[in-house]
Amino acid sequence: MTIEARLDHIRGAVPPRNHNARTIAALTSNPGCARRAIMDAAGVDKQRLASCAGFPAPFGQSQFAITRGNAFEAQVKANGCAELLRLLREGLGLPLPEVSYADLEEVGGNTSRELRHSRTRGLLARAAASGADAGTLFDHPLLRLAVAGQQVYLEPDLIAFRLHGQFHVVEMKSFAVIDGQADGDKVAAAATQSAVYVLALRELLAGEGYGPDTVSHEAVLVCPENFSNAPVATLVDVRKQLTVLRRQLSRLEHIDSLVELLPPGLTLDLKADEAGVAGRPPAELAGAIRTVPARYVPECLATCEMCYFCREEARGATATLGRDVRDDLGAVETVHAALGLADGTLDPADDLAEAAAMLQVAARLRREALGGTA
Amino acid sequence: MSTLTALARARAVASAVAQPISTVRHVHVSDRPLVLIPLALAGEASAPLAAMVGDDPGSARLLVVAQPRNRDQRFAFAAGLATVILGYIDTFRSAVEDASSGADREPRQRFADAPQVLVPNRAGIGFVRLLGRSTRFRRSDGEYAVDPAVPVLGRWLTFLAERAEYPGSCLLLAATEALALHWASGQSPVEDLNLAALLGWVDPPSGMTGPEAAAAAEDPLTCPPAGPATDPTFDNEVLAPLIAACARADGDAAAHRAEASLRAALSGQLTPTWKLMWRAVGLLRGLPPGGRVAPRWDADKDAFTGYVTYLGEGGPPQPRRDSAVAAARRLDWLERAQAGYAIQRALDDPLVMAEYRMTGEAFAGTVTAAEPGRIDGTGRRRKLRPLITVTTEDPVRIEAGTVLSTPGRPGQKALVVSVYAGRPARVVLELSGGMGRALIPVPGSVPEVGDRLCYTALSDSYQRSWPFPAREQTPWTHGGPPPEYVPADEDASEVWS
Amino acid sequence: MDEIERTIERLRAEVRRAAVSGDRTRARAMRAELREAERAWDESLARLEERPPASLGSAPVDQPGPLLPVREQVHQALTLLGTPAAQRLIIAVHEAFFGSPLAAARLTSLRRDEERSFRAAPYSRPYYLCTALTADLLAPARGLLAVSTWPIERRVIGPLSPRVNYLEAAIRVAESLLRMPKPSQAAERLLRRFAANIPGAADGARPKDPHLVVAAAHAELEIHSAEDGSVRREAAARARARLDDAEQLFGSRMRVIPRTGTGA
Repeated sequence: MTIEARLDHIRGAVPPRNHNARTIAALTSNPGCARRAIMDAAGVDKQRLASCAGFPAPFGQSQFAITRGNAFEAQVKANGCAELLRLLREGLGLPLPEVSYADLEEVGGNTSRELRHSRTRGLLARAAASGADAGTLFDHPLLRLAVAGQQVYLEPDLIAFRLHGQFHVVEMKSFAVIDGQADGDKVAAAATQSAVYVLALRELLAGEGYGPDTVSHEAVLVCPENFSNAPVATLVDVRKQLTVLRRQLSRLEHIDSLVELLPPGLTLDLKADEAGVAGRPPAELAGAIRTVPARYVPECLATCEMCYFCREEARGATATLGRDVRDDLGAVETVHAALGLADGTLDPADDLAEAAAMLQVAARLRREALGGTA
Repeated sequence: MSTLTALARARAVASAVAQPISTVRHVHVSDRPLVLIPLALAGEASAPLAAMVGDDPGSARLLVVAQPRNRDQRFAFAAGLATVILGYIDTFRSAVEDASSGADREPRQRFADAPQVLVPNRAGIGFVRLLGRSTRFRRSDGEYAVDPAVPVLGRWLTFLAERAEYPGSCLLLAATEALALHWASGQSPVEDLNLAALLGWVDPPSGMTGPEAAAAAEDPLTCPPAGPATDPTFDNEVLAPLIAACARADGDAAAHRAEASLRAALSGQLTPTWKLMWRAVGLLRGLPPGGRVAPRWDADKDAFTGYVTYLGEGGPPQPRRDSAVAAARRLDWLERAQAGYAIQRALDDPLVMAEYRMTGEAFAGTVTAAEPGRIDGTGRRRKLRPLITVTTEDPVRIEAGTVLSTPGRPGQKALVVSVYAGRPARVVLELSGGMGRALIPVPGSVPEVGDRLCYTALSDSYQRSWPFPAREQTPWTHGGPPPEYVPADEDASEVWS
Repeated sequence: MDEIERTIERLRAEVRRAAVSGDRTRARAMRAELREAERAWDESLARLEERPPASLGSAPVDQPGPLLPVREQVHQALTLLGTPAAQRLIIAVHEAFFGSPLAAARLTSLRRDEERSFRAAPYSRPYYLCTALTADLLAPARGLLAVSTWPIERRVIGPLSPRVNYLEAAIRVAESLLRMPKPSQAAERLLRRFAANIPGAADGARPKDPHLVVAAAHAELEIHSAEDGSVRREAAARARARLDDAEQLFGSRMRVIPRTGTGA
């Protein structure tokens, strides 16, 4: 069986979940987790799976946030991107004659992805080939990125624009920049998503014979300023994110080595009936999931729909307490072992001798301070 | 994070309940704190949706913005919140106490107590900061007039949020952080950000283990999030239709009904957290206060008094960004305050001191030899310099020549004469001070054989801050003297959309 | 009533749980039940209060007696602007210069209705609200409305046309403002927004000077108009040659008519 066929079998009789920049960006957050890699490569609906296994995930998007995001984007792009042009002119020195705008959302009423993508490719290639008069703003480009052997279509809500011969990815986010400062986590997430688009854009232009420098490693992040809707633009260097992404994507290329290790008939199919009600017993489903090894860390709670399932599975491991605490426990695998070393009831192997000594001192100090009840 | 707290977490996992990581309380808990639970609308910088606030468990006030995108309603909310918060702050502006210290030439006074605002988590402090920022520049006159209480509220919220950054300050506290300072749960620090889950570990309801209580706390349907973020399914399935109904309502009766429904739904989201907050207050009050909690609260009272005075003199609202000198001064202050705060807690609490014992910066042991009457005759004058030997199991990493002290004898210094590093280690100390003026020590002022003591080089004595240039003398490398802040029209009309 | 309230609480919880588990079918079903329960509650309450119930989910209340039908109001706004425009701008212009705000919901089906009306009885009305055409494919340009009586050149959108149209709209708005004896706050706001996005149109002071906006817009127009003009003329010629009447107004969807040499 080919790897693709095996992944299809693992996923079961449903169409694969589409990737988008957010899910690809999330791949970088836990590169060592085989369970996540396999599920994402196979396009499994992790939210459904977690719920049917008895561990519904805490994720969801508030429509207020979505509405605000859409409204902000619409406002910035209105009237041939009038506000965006101002930001690019004032902040980045975009010359006045460069205002050309192309909307790549539809191709004459036809929205097929292949058609949109090839039109995008054509227009961007033409822009790269000629001078400044070949296009400045490209709205709703449809890009493609190879992820785990699949071609994933990516639609940025952003625009790629050309300045001094280089394309820049533009990302519009509705979190605010207040007095010049924004939430660091949100900026980091936006940077990673932008990096996904940079990679995809570079891949597209590489196919037309252009080097990676045709796409700048600086993305333009457009956010509301202070408490209003007026936009402000910042340049964000995404080189670090690009490196991490490339590394993780190349790991996914070798998904076959992970798949080889799995039981041949493994499937995570929910056995849903015509109405969509899942028919597979949760315990059996959980058993199937567990044959794919995971690597749970508390950060999963913010990024992966399987988090509650994997957390329950990892009970008793020091990893559930977070990397810092695990390190402070001498990087011992389980809580039970750490306590055993601390109490002296467990004999340490040579490489754990130092950790054991440290834990024993800590145990003694706690006992003393708490009056023997530690 | 240290091995001690990590071990405490491991023990919590094994025993299914949180373990103490302190023996005393390190935060001040007011007799009458103001609990504030804000909710914000998703997707906006600081769009208030609702707040539950009050200084007594039985008297929660609910404030709601029925149309969160409506500017007038936002400012009405801010005015309502101002009434509650400023009213609360005002109650601390009557009683005064003497605050003179020996260094003052004139007698100094400050307010006898200060307000204390409690929010559920660090994100709540962020909300307070943003709300302060979006309101403190408003004006009560002109084209964009707001209720005069609103900019005053903004200044107070900003003051509280800035104070909250100073380690050891308790004017504005996050309940999750206060609890996490004293108990280690059996979950990760990330999960500790959830107040309900953390309380589940610290104080599980009868019949439930810590992890069971924490798991129950993670279901947003039975345990709504403590905010300011709301649960997305609540937003989509409950809040959005109710807000739409308020917007659509025509006629007073319909508007009234719609708003009542909205208030009921939001109250349902806030009331469980309200109860959790007062449970947290009770748990903290159950711990005996550390010795240095009161002096730190005195500093908070000084700051409060100072700000009341500043506002009374018509001081302008805090500028948007620090000037270069202010920024450098603040950073320096924060670094020293952080170190000082940790040391203070160690001096108050043997369990915190234990962390320094692990790193060798402190040691505790038994006095195994003592020469209380030893005289040092080498200098011009004869001095009383007793010697003691302390034997300890701790991993000592202190060198000869270091000056130490012990928490129980603040006026006494101990110079390390020699260290025999072994198991056990033996440290010979030469003592000075705290023994009276004569050449014979006052009885009891010198440690005796058999006494158990802890010695450390750490001290919380006041350190002068690095001399910073005055504002007007900001060096040109840092942009020169900052312009005087003049409240501008743009500030009052700044969009709050 | 209490029982209905309990039902509502229960259904809310069920909807939320279904949403979280990714079970969209069940979520939809529960939501429908919830709406029913909410309606029943509202009706019971209305009966208690002896007032007519507010119907949930009904269309927005009509403005007190609009003077003109929506298509006339849109026509007014577009005539003032003189260029194809998106819904938002049309609404803002109407509010600024013709008093009453247009409800956005009414514009969504306008284009489709106009096309149907034209195809049913071509040219029977003095004007139709139609689309703008993209220069390269002569397809309907997304989101824009135009007036059928305009020459095709004015209704064609080349790469520079969105910017050119914006500048021309700014000029027309500024000139209209100058003709108003006492400009409304909405008009001033609209001019301010244009001025902020045209270099040289804003000198930092409030309120914005319409003459300055006109001058600055003209200055930038000079940069783009020649090239934009030639693209439009070429596209208009192609449209006249290849498209039938309806397609010239509402764009070509079925056949893609590219400019030679571009490739699709």
